[in-house]
Amino acid sequence: MNTMTVLYALVAAGLFGCGLYMVLSRNFVRLLLGLSLVTTAVNLVVFQAGRFRSLQPPLIPEGADRLRDSADPLPQALILTAIVIGFALTVMLAVLAMRVWRGHGTLASDEIRSAERLGDPFADEVGDGR
Amino acid sequence: MIAQLLALSFAGSCAAWPLGRVLGRRTSGWLLALLPAGLFAAFLRFAPTIAAGQVVTQQVAWAPSLGVNLALRLDGFSLLFALLITGIGALVIVYAGAYLSDQEDAARSRFFTLILLFMTAMLGAVLTDDLVVLFLFWEATSFLSFLLIGFDADSAHARRSALMSLRVTAGGGLALLAASILIGATTGSYSIAHAAAHAGELARSPWAGPILLGLLLGAFTKSAQFPFHFWLPNAMQAPTPASAYLHSATMVKLGIYLLARFEPVIGAVAGGRDVVIAVALTTMMVGAFQALRAENFKAVLAYSTVASLGILVMLVGLDGPMASVAMVGFILAHALYKAALFFCAGTVLHATGLIRLRAMGGLARFLPVTAAAAVLASLSMAGLPPFLGFISKEFLFEAQIRSSWNAFPVAVAVIVNAVIVGVAGVVTLRPFFMNRDRVREVRHRESVGLLLGPVVLALLGLVISLQPDWIGRSVLGPAVTAVYGAPVEVEVGFWHGVTPMVLLSAAVVGTGALLFIFWRPIHQRLRRQTLVDRYDAETAWESVLRGIDALAAATARRIQHGDLRGYLWVVIASAAALAAWGLLGPGPGPRLPDAGAVAGLRIGPAVVALVGLAAGVAAARARTLLSTMIAVGLTGFVAALTFLLNGAPDLALTQFAVESLIVVLLTVALFILPLAAPPTRTKRERALDAGLSAGFAAVLFVVLLDMGMGAPPTDVSGFYAARSYLEAFGRNVVNVILVDFRGVDTLGETTVIALAAVFAWSLLGPRTAQERAARTGGGHGAFILLVTSRIFFWLLAGSSVLILLRGHNEIGGGFVGGLAAALAFAVVSLADGVGRARSLLRVHPLALAGGGLLLAVASGLPGLFLHGDFLSSVWLEADLFGIHVKQGTTLVFDLGVYLVVLGGVLAFLFGLRREAAR
Repeated sequence: MNTMTVLYALVAAGLFGCGLYMVLSRNFVRLLLGLSLVTTAVNLVVFQAGRFRSLQPPLIPEGADRLRDSADPLPQALILTAIVIGFALTVMLAVLAMRVWRGHGTLASDEIRSAERLGDPFADEVGDGR
Repeated sequence: MIAQLLALSFAGSCAAWPLGRVLGRRTSGWLLALLPAGLFAAFLRFAPTIAAGQVVTQQVAWAPSLGVNLALRLDGFSLLFALLITGIGALVIVYAGAYLSDQEDAARSRFFTLILLFMTAMLGAVLTDDLVVLFLFWEATSFLSFLLIGFDADSAHARRSALMSLRVTAGGGLALLAASILIGATTGSYSIAHAAAHAGELARSPWAGPILLGLLLGAFTKSAQFPFHFWLPNAMQAPTPASAYLHSATMVKLGIYLLARFEPVIGAVAGGRDVVIAVALTTMMVGAFQALRAENFKAVLAYSTVASLGILVMLVGLDGPMASVAMVGFILAHALYKAALFFCAGTVLHATGLIRLRAMGGLARFLPVTAAAAVLASLSMAGLPPFLGFISKEFLFEAQIRSSWNAFPVAVAVIVNAVIVGVAGVVTLRPFFMNRDRVREVRHRESVGLLLGPVVLALLGLVISLQPDWIGRSVLGPAVTAVYGAPVEVEVGFWHGVTPMVLLSAAVVGTGALLFIFWRPIHQRLRRQTLVDRYDAETAWESVLRGIDALAAATARRIQHGDLRGYLWVVIASAAALAAWGLLGPGPGPRLPDAGAVAGLRIGPAVVALVGLAAGVAAARARTLLSTMIAVGLTGFVAALTFLLNGAPDLALTQFAVESLIVVLLTVALFILPLAAPPTRTKRERALDAGLSAGFAAVLFVVLLDMGMGAPPTDVSGFYAARSYLEAFGRNVVNVILVDFRGVDTLGETTVIALAAVFAWSLLGPRTAQERAARTGGGHGAFILLVTSRIFFWLLAGSSVLILLRGHNEIGGGFVGGLAAALAFAVVSLADGVGRARSLLRVHPLALAGGGLLLAVASGLPGLFLHGDFLSSVWLEADLFGIHVKQGTTLVFDLGVYLVVLGGVLAFLFGLRREAAR
């Protein structure tokens, strides 16, 4: 087993943990940055699923008709879209954070309660309807 | 033939909705009654066949794979019910047409439709031989009765009663379903006849107890047996025609029907009959007691119905052939006189507007024919000769005496029947003949529609008992045979000498007469017993419901507490616990590397990785959002470098582009958002969160080590490695996977980006016309940026096209290309303002994204038409101006991806800038 494998496992797991710690914050922006960190960590995890067989990019050289002895292309294809999707997610959350800030004047997730303020779902059950 | 009748009934019920509106006030009831009357005639035509001992069956395949078929079975017992349902149904429709004549056409049509649909459901329930089908029709009657009881939807009282009846009866239906499934699993068939024939097998199975419990719950709720009886008096909120139909003749009898069908099973299970009889006797007593206390006309009838249903259930519980005879006879007698009395009560209520019996009197002056019908029906109810009620009461006592039970049921039956006699007197003599001065005038007199039902039913109670031969031979006899399982010879007559039955009857009538005479003092004395109201079943039911509500509210407040952190805690902790269970639970433990066997440290990449980890820790610890953002950005760049150093230049390029764009976009966001982020968690919460995160990270670390020890998966990757060039003509395997092998997947991800852009755009920017008018052009950046931005733009834009075009064979592709192009516009917008960038783009960014999506979809069509496979690549080769060109639809697809990414990112960028400028 390669030392680098252990090291990358440590880094991916550590970044994941840091991201989760931020996600648990009640500050909306810290949460979204934490999510971005988790995305990066997940990408590293998927990357390790392909192992570190070779440092060659998965390009078929001129003259050959198939790929030999290169990094695993499949995790790379998965991660490539994941990066872009994660980016879109982060920006979308940032947009939401801006709207929340403009609309509520707060970024604390436990203070954003307009959905709950619609009322007690059991309030009108007392008098009638039973 | 039976299925066609059912279908006709259903179609006719649906047609009643428009027809009722067209036909108008006077005629609609009469014409719509033709449907149940016609069905009655059709069922009557089966009578000779059934009487000859045959059983008509019909199978209509419905869900054969589930073993559920619309299995129909018409035997004597079903025929009796079908005739009652359709016959009384016709009279109810006529009566309702007159009763609801002061209502709007729409309301009356609604009533007709509901009650005819109810009739159809009842017919289906008594005609099917399949338990699952029975359950469906059973619940249909529950729901339709809910709608009928709550017909006057403006009344809170009606709504409450409707909901109560639905909860009780539909809930009992669920118990029936459970029993049905158990029966199906035990006997291998959902056939009711099959189950009854295999009663011994069912009784011996370990599920005998639950099966019996489910059946009894279903029947007892439907037939208003104690302690579920309370819904029936409340259901008197329904319009009286519905009460007459549902709560005397049809729906409440469905429970009796079920019990009678499963009587062999009840008898085979030890203690089954005891339970049934105990419940029945309690119900009889409770019903009789409350009938004496009730004040309202309909309530008195309702409680006497409860008592009568108790008698019927008791007859199911008793063994011996006479019990079946008495039950069949009483079903008919009770249906006839109770429906008639409900009709009379409805006419009185409608004509006087009075509800309480105490307020009525002397109505025979205004409603003479109704009074006469009430007298006839009451005589049958009181069980006086020569009425049908007398014969059925004789049978009842004979069944009791000849059964293996002791005298206790007889005593209860005498008391309860005496109360019924008293009730019969009270509901007839008091409102119609006594206290002549109480009612001075009525709103309206009788009409033919109001009279047909009560008169026909009341007369039938006399005619049948005087001429019992035909109906005994063709309907009642076969019904008894079907219930008992063998023909029973019965001698019908009024005088068999001084038998015990006659003596009991005499005792009943005598006690009943006394009850009637001393009705007032008894009634008033019992009404003072308010303790009963406080501890009755209805109060208990209400408190159970309140308890459920309180439990639900408490649970909801506990789990839906509104704190996001709490929700995430549950998710993360569960995920960590599951993963830890996978590692440490049963099975081989995680594979960990030996400390000595590690080798191959690469200093450069190791340092890069550790910097990333340090940046992550810094991000988690940072106090302000700006430093957090910088630290998170740093981890992104470290990831990009890590990809680059490990043979993934495509990923590196993408990640670099993304990180650059994130810096640009989040900077805009941070213009608006506050940078200071005061702690939102207490010290204790932070410690807990750190513990959870560290625990998750530790589990993940072990998982990754375990994964690293395993053999690398090669199958799928090897497939792509071998075929990428030969089949998809691309040398960049990553890009080939994205645009060719897994093109549909990529299309989905591209759609996500486009939709995210639409979402963001709709949230951002000017929200009102004034804001839109006040929009400023946007500021300018630093001079040096202004000068160089044009160069950067063209450099980046040009290279993005190059990245796109080369993508299939070398590093690059649509995603990276699009990101690079977006960077080009980002530079311009930073230097020159959004206006300049937008004018360079010319089209709306969302149009770009949408167009890209269309292009990507279109690129899949050639493959669809040529290979029958959406998004499979199609290649064209040509020599243009001496250059050999070979291009596939994959390039078009990649161009689509490119445009979506470009448009999406620019929608984010322009939207955020517009929002910042607000």
